[in-house]
Amino acid sequence: MAKLEETDSVVFGISIDSPAANNAFAEKIGVKFPLLSDMNRKVLKEYGILKMYNVQKEEYDWAQRTTFVVDKKGIIQSVEEEASAINPNNAVAVCTKLPKK
Amino acid sequence: MAHIGFKSIIVTAALAGCMAAGAIRAAQEDVKVNHTSLKSGDMAPDFTLLDNHWKQIHLSDYRGKKNVVLAFYVLAFTEG
Repeated sequence: MAKLEETDSVVFGISIDSPAANNAFAEKIGVKFPLLSDMNRKVLKEYGILKMYNVQKEEYDWAQRTTFVVDKKGIIQSVEEEASAINPNNAVAVCTKLPKK
Repeated sequence: MAHIGFKSIIVTAALAGCMAAGAIRAAQEDVKVNHTSLKSGDMAPDFTLLDNHWKQIHLSDYRGKKNVVLAFYVLAFTEG
């Protein structure tokens, strides 16, 4: 995180959880960056990453794990899905290469 | 400073680990994967969402100011 701040970047976690659930989650795992609630799945749909999960024979649509890096012009600089989105070093590396100003 | 930085990285790694565990568990029962059609070079669709303190966050507020890392995760508390 400190590494990312040095690159003039902010991080948001996003899921379908409520703000209350996200806040409890943030406190539990000790993250300092905001966790955002996409409760109506609007952003997940716009970003095309709603994924169907089958739990006890019922289907649920939640986020697919994906990390986007958006530069200061609002342009996507990197998209990582599933396993590669888990390691934050990739996003840090992208941010490090972006211009500071 | 270096020490603080290191701790922060640990926290980030812990979050990623928690999210990973949830994903792995959820992935066992996947029925359908949607791949995003967004790619590098595309404009990121703007959004307004509530953060964990019920404050509205607009992606567009960061235009011209900060790079933004959007880390979508499956569900909170899914680390098992």
